[in-house]
Amino acid sequence: MPATQLDMSFQNDIRILSFDCVTPFGNSAATHKALVEGRSNVAQYPVTGNDGGQEVPLSLFDHMHAELPPRWFPTVTNMLAPVSGSEWGRVDTPIFVSSSNFGVDSLYYLRRDGRSEQQPYAVPHSSVEQIRRACGWGRNVSLYSHACVSAHIAILAASMALMCGAKRALVLSYDFISPFVTGGFSALKILNGQLPRPFHRAETGSIALGEGAAYAILSLEGKGPRISAQSTWNEMFHFTANEPEGSGFAKLLEPILPALRDSRIWLKGHGTGTVDAGRIEAESLAKAFPEAPLTGWKGAIGHTLGSCGLIELAIALRSIESGTAPGSVGSEAPTFTPNVALAPFSTSCYDAALILSNAFGGAHATMCIRND
Amino acid sequence: MTDEQLKQEIKELIVETLELDDISAEDISDEQALMDSDLGLDSIDALELVVQIEKKFGIKLENSEDAKTALRSVNSMVEQIRKHNSAI
Repeated sequence: MPATQLDMSFQNDIRILSFDCVTPFGNSAATHKALVEGRSNVAQYPVTGNDGGQEVPLSLFDHMHAELPPRWFPTVTNMLAPVSGSEWGRVDTPIFVSSSNFGVDSLYYLRRDGRSEQQPYAVPHSSVEQIRRACGWGRNVSLYSHACVSAHIAILAASMALMCGAKRALVLSYDFISPFVTGGFSALKILNGQLPRPFHRAETGSIALGEGAAYAILSLEGKGPRISAQSTWNEMFHFTANEPEGSGFAKLLEPILPALRDSRIWLKGHGTGTVDAGRIEAESLAKAFPEAPLTGWKGAIGHTLGSCGLIELAIALRSIESGTAPGSVGSEAPTFTPNVALAPFSTSCYDAALILSNAFGGAHATMCIRND
Repeated sequence: MTDEQLKQEIKELIVETLELDDISAEDISDEQALMDSDLGLDSIDALELVVQIEKKFGIKLENSEDAKTALRSVNSMVEQIRKHNSAI
């Protein structure tokens, strides 16, 4: 099917005034440190938590279990302490919340156990309403969900709000794992018993699912790192697969290539650990940027689904700040392309980083980060 | 179970699972491509089919690559089922 769609590229400087994330390793600084040290939080767990099943690789804060409030709620609201208060969620300070899952764990436990107390957390709007109330925000809160590029879409929407007059925008993304989600990925066979090895050249592969949250405060003014370009593209080739020649990546990169001319860049790929997607991504990026090192972090923190774009942005910003980017933790040689970084590398000789994510449904998204 | 019997059961399972109104088991040839063919199967159909094959024949396809191999044709399914369950 030919892909005809609106141009969703964006090339204005968006300043990142503040950011953080939380993963099972801790905040963004702790997570970045762990990855640079080559540590992985991925371990084998029963696919449906306490309900059992085959063991699959997951990166969890703790075991999957029914809890009230849901186990993601205190983790997310604690992370948001620096951005709590009624100054957020007003006309000029909108909030953009993204997730693949929102409160689907509560929906699962509600159906399984029939406990109506899960209901306030069980659908996207009500789960975000619980966060809004806990943080004391105003009502200018909107929700974005587009599979694993959800956070990118929320950042893009926030950028457009800034262009339309908003003073600052808060972007939040959170995704936690439930048996509903692990069961689905396991049925697709892309979550199986193997540990993920992003961009490793192999006959078979697996993702690891992970959980976490992140936020960023964006503005057109101020100092600090900036998002200098953003692009999204949907190749509309297949629901769960990319076009084998990488045309989706080429179309994604096309609008932002002029902004990258003469820049030395490094790449934070999507790199879930699946074979076909890993090959297509690595080959497409190596073709476009043969000199750029490519790293992927889902072998250490798992695939945090719709939140991966914002969580991995926070780790990338710590990489730029500290001068060292983690390598592709959990992976090994041989890799699909020679530019895959298995070990940490210095970011000081690069001008910019590209953060990439892909999603079911054929969606691609990227943003360019600079700190100059 | 002979190969022919197994193939017939697989074809019936395909028709039944995917509710193919206009296609009967006899219309599916042993080598016919199941995906990207006249059968019009998509990835959700593939998921359903793999779940039903695992259930009916007591096998476990380990990863998406094995599942993809199995879904090439009825003959490929027979190979994968025999590989994972020699008792059939």
